Amino acid sequence: MKEQSAAEKSVPVIELRHVDKHFGDLHVLRDINLTVEKGEVLVVIGPSGSGKSTMCRTINRLETIDSGEILIEGEPLPQEGAELTRMRAELGMVFQQFNLFAHMTILDNVTLGPREVLGVPRDEAERRAMELLERVGVAEQAQKVPAQLSGGQQQRAAIARSLAMRPKAMMFDEPTSALDPEMINEVLDVMVELAREGMTMVVVTHEMNFARRVADRVVFMADGQIVEEGAPDEFFDHPRTQRARDFLDSIKGH
Amino acid sequence: MSRANSATSMRDALYEAPGPRTRRKIVVGTVISLALVALGVAAVIRQFYVTGQLAPRYWSFLLEWTTWRFLLQGLMGTVQVALTAGVIALVLGLLLMLGRTSGVRPLSALCRVVTDFFRGVPSLLLIYFFFFVPAQLGLKMPSFWMLTLPVALAASGVLAEVFRAGVNAVPRGQVEAAMSIGLSSAKTMFKIVLPQAVRYVIPSLIAQLVVVVKDTTVAYVVSYPDLMQNARVLITSYDALVSMYLVVAVIYILINYLINRASVYIANKTGVKIIR
Repeated sequence: MKEQSAAEKSVPVIELRHVDKHFGDLHVLRDINLTVEKGEVLVVIGPSGSGKSTMCRTINRLETIDSGEILIEGEPLPQEGAELTRMRAELGMVFQQFNLFAHMTILDNVTLGPREVLGVPRDEAERRAMELLERVGVAEQAQKVPAQLSGGQQQRAAIARSLAMRPKAMMFDEPTSALDPEMINEVLDVMVELAREGMTMVVVTHEMNFARRVADRVVFMADGQIVEEGAPDEFFDHPRTQRARDFLDSIKGH
Repeated sequence: MSRANSATSMRDALYEAPGPRTRRKIVVGTVISLALVALGVAAVIRQFYVTGQLAPRYWSFLLEWTTWRFLLQGLMGTVQVALTAGVIALVLGLLLMLGRTSGVRPLSALCRVVTDFFRGVPSLLLIYFFFFVPAQLGLKMPSFWMLTLPVALAASGVLAEVFRAGVNAVPRGQVEAAMSIGLSSAKTMFKIVLPQAVRYVIPSLIAQLVVVVKDTTVAYVVSYPDLMQNARVLITSYDALVSMYLVVAVIYILINYLINRASVYIANKTGVKIIR
């Protein structure tokens, strides 16, 4: 996939150049350089506190950066105002805590963006929302409020909410970390399906099997830096750095 | 969900289930406190009897329709002022909160000063202000507004803070999700944050309405005929201070009880389970 897009000389969907960020004294992102090509599935792994979530969140400016550049399809990420809002609408984001709008039905959660931001008429937005809810398998829950759904159902609905905006790329910030074990796979299945359909994805996760199976490229982060990146098989079978070997050993084991 | 249910769960949340010894203590405590209450009531009635407060001349005027009509007129005055002041305070409080959280620094600072001012100044002082200052400037203000405006302003400061507490209680993730689908900050506020914030603070809003009702009782300062003012008129004409005040107290308690019942009803009706 990488060679192919390089050959086409296409503009990366997401590009980070020399991105730095501090939380007070803590240097959470150190000179991050990263490109995500169209249709690529990038999986970001690393120990907690490594900055992987923060990096994911900088891409639609839920976190600001201190220096460096973030480009979306070659254009600098706007800093504020209507331009930023428009750019955010084009990038999907799935959160660890689902963050479905608690006071709305699932259907309203999915139609809100298209209706308010894209100006899609209600009946059309609802028709498309039902298709998406069908696709992620929660169509029967459309009239319920989020609290009435299981975690796995909520997360699948949240994915549908993002997809309703027809995003250029989707970011997943530890989408299965808050789920009970038996619900993890139903969410991962939806993500695998998305990846197969060619969605450009950045996935921060601890699900190593998913990374191995779906990722085009794995990025390993530690202490705010990208320590290693490469094809999943290569990374998991022959990690080059000691840091990555230690991390992989620590999560294997049992 | 019934009220009994939520009361039980509140107790369960605070204390462990009582064991046999605790249950015995609760029974003993209940009996003793009931006895004390009965004793107290008996003492009050006895004292009334001794001082002659139970004499028919202090109570007989309550059997006349004109008395009640006059009280009802006062009650209508109270309701009008309280409702008008309540609505103004809600709108103003919301605006103050929006201004304060707007992120526009001068506006935010201004709203903060205004909020703290109205919250900090006793409503009686504001009433004096509206009683004296417009008159000095040659403005004629109806007594209705001389009472309603200060009561509303005093409440708006508190309500602004209540709204702000509600907005702060909405989980950050709700805002992030709204931003991530491209909602503007205004739409995020009005479609996502405020609807949830208001649900959180409905009990506090209603509690503040009770304060508004009680604030209107200083109507006598501006000679506005509310329940309290009319009661004072009746007290002078029938020379029946204790009995009249007792009746008026009961009416105020009833009004505020009704408001509280309404708050429980509304809270249960709009109660949304929030994911955490």
